Amino acid sequence: MSEENWIEVGSTDSIEEEDLIRFDHQDKTFCVYKLTDGFYATDGICTHEAVHLEDGLVMDDEIECPMHQGIFNIKSGEALSPPACEDLKTYPVKVDNDKIFIKID
Amino acid sequence: MKNNIVILGGGQAGIYAAREIRQNDSKSNIKILGEENLLPYERPPLSKDFLLDKKKEEDLYFHSSDVLKNENIEFENISINKVDFENKKLFAKNDNVYSYDSLLISTGSENKKLTLDNNLKNDIYYLRNLEEAKKIKEIVSNKNKITIIGGGFIGLEIASSLSQLQKKVIVIEIGNQLMGRIIPKQIADLVQNTHIEHGNEIILNKQIEKITKKNGDYEILLNDNSLIETDFIIVGIGSTPTVKLFENTNLKLDNGIVTNQFCETSIKDVFAAGDVSNFYHPFYERNMRLESYQHAQNHGICAGKNIAGVKTEYTSIPWMWSDQFNLNLQLTGICDEYDEIIKRGNDINNGVIYFFLKNNKIRGACGVGIIGKVGRDIRITSKLTEKDTIVDKQILSDQNLKLNKLIQK
Ligand SMILES: Cc1cc2nc3c(=O)[nH]c(=O)nc-3n(C[C@H](O)[C@H](O)[C@H](O)COP(=O)(O)OP(=O)(O)OC[C@H]3O[C@@H](n4cnc5c(N)ncnc54)[C@H](O)[C@@H]3O)c2cc1C
Ligand code: FES
Repeated sequence: MSEENWIEVGSTDSIEEEDLIRFDHQDKTFCVYKLTDGFYATDGICTHEAVHLEDGLVMDDEIECPMHQGIFNIKSGEALSPPACEDLKTYPVKVDNDKIFIKID
Repeated sequence: MKNNIVILGGGQAGIYAAREIRQNDSKSNIKILGEENLLPYERPPLSKDFLLDKKKEEDLYFHSSDVLKNENIEFENISINKVDFENKKLFAKNDNVYSYDSLLISTGSENKKLTLDNNLKNDIYYLRNLEEAKKIKEIVSNKNKITIIGGGFIGLEIASSLSQLQKKVIVIEIGNQLMGRIIPKQIADLVQNTHIEHGNEIILNKQIEKITKKNGDYEILLNDNSLIETDFIIVGIGSTPTVKLFENTNLKLDNGIVTNQFCETSIKDVFAAGDVSNFYHPFYERNMRLESYQHAQNHGICAGKNIAGVKTEYTSIPWMWSDQFNLNLQLTGICDEYDEIIKRGNDINNGVIYFFLKNNKIRGACGVGIIGKVGRDIRITSKLTEKDTIVDKQILSDQNLKLNKLIQK
């Protein structure tokens, strides 16, 4: 695991609990979430249509797309409710000195 | 016990019911009878991404034939034209007979037809199924000036798609606003402005008097004597539940098949779900009929549970959406029973929502905004409605205050 793959997203207090922030890196968009047990990251665009999940609703471990209510599990990326049927990609997250990093492949 | 379960109508409610029955009952035979020669598919993209070529036919199916095979759900392409509820039998045109122990009717709805005195039936197009969508897509590719009769959701979505395909589009609506039956006028006007900004012409308060064919094109005469020249006509003037088959039977009909909160009809062992059913909603304490994706799915699932013997009340708060241009419109609950209206937001770029309250509780809400801007708040609204919460009106009306605050407690 090379160090360069970890990208700094921001400080841990930049996200409220049970909420998310959008993070753009190069030409990709990610969502970084703060859940009760830690930080998680997924692709930032819904797999159903090209809609940003940053405007979606975080409830427990799930993110619900603001467009057609497709639901994904934030931790596994699994598509839980139609019309979303393709899983969402997830990324490893670590916290170092109150800073959040995600590992982008 | 092994039962014969037959699902009449292979659409969205039918497929969700079938899979839910299988989840709860591994033994019974489950057979879907569908008159379209296609596995169940999603209709919403037909007026949107399918016309725009962003989605192909293969993207529309809910499930592959493998999923049905694995779950031992049979799909037969057949049209049923007679039912005998007394002897629990269905009859097809080709003399096939199907016996059932439990029957789910999920025959959906069909487009209302424009009544014309001359013989232009074959010149006028409607959109309900994939075959019609394919035909429209093929023919419009070499048409330029398209008229849509009816300013409801489907007509406006087609108008949005065809405008994006660089067509000149005119929408003629008989009422004094677009999407009149269920959408507040304030929201309808915002959507109308967007159509006009994109070059679509919207004509309200006008009725069609006559359509004449001229050199392969058409002239539409309106009731104010104005004439519209057009080279293609699509009609979207609403739909009616598909119940013709049951008209001379004991099945209780009233704007669809009347069902209780368990999807049960007036006849034992006969259930109905989706667009075709006029169901009792225990939360709103009244019957309603909905034509929406979320309802077809959840009602199908609820019917599936009840058919499999897992008694389940249908309590889902209604929700639907429409996508036109870069706008996403969403509606939750019911917006026709209220003593107070509260508005949130002023700018379509950030989303505008109208909440309909009764006794300080939300009964429904309707919002529109640039894609992504109203979904979260509408979703929270559904939850607040379901929980019958007395809401803080200050938070509802101030877009700077997050609605999440209202449900976290
Ligand atoms: C163009 C279009 C766009 C839409 N867009 C949206 C949207 O953006 N958002 C939203 O929330 N909803 C939308 N909807 C509504 C949504 O798709 C419907 O509410 C949903 O499909 C209803 O599901 P259903 O199973 O009740 O009926 P259907 O999906 O219509 O299925 C009924 C099936 O039964 C078959 N059938 C009928 N009679 C017989 C018979 N005698 N024998 C055999 N088979 C029979 C029919 O052919 C049909 O295949 C749209 C609908 C259309 C048509
Ligand atoms: S775009 Fe996310 S569910 Fe449709």
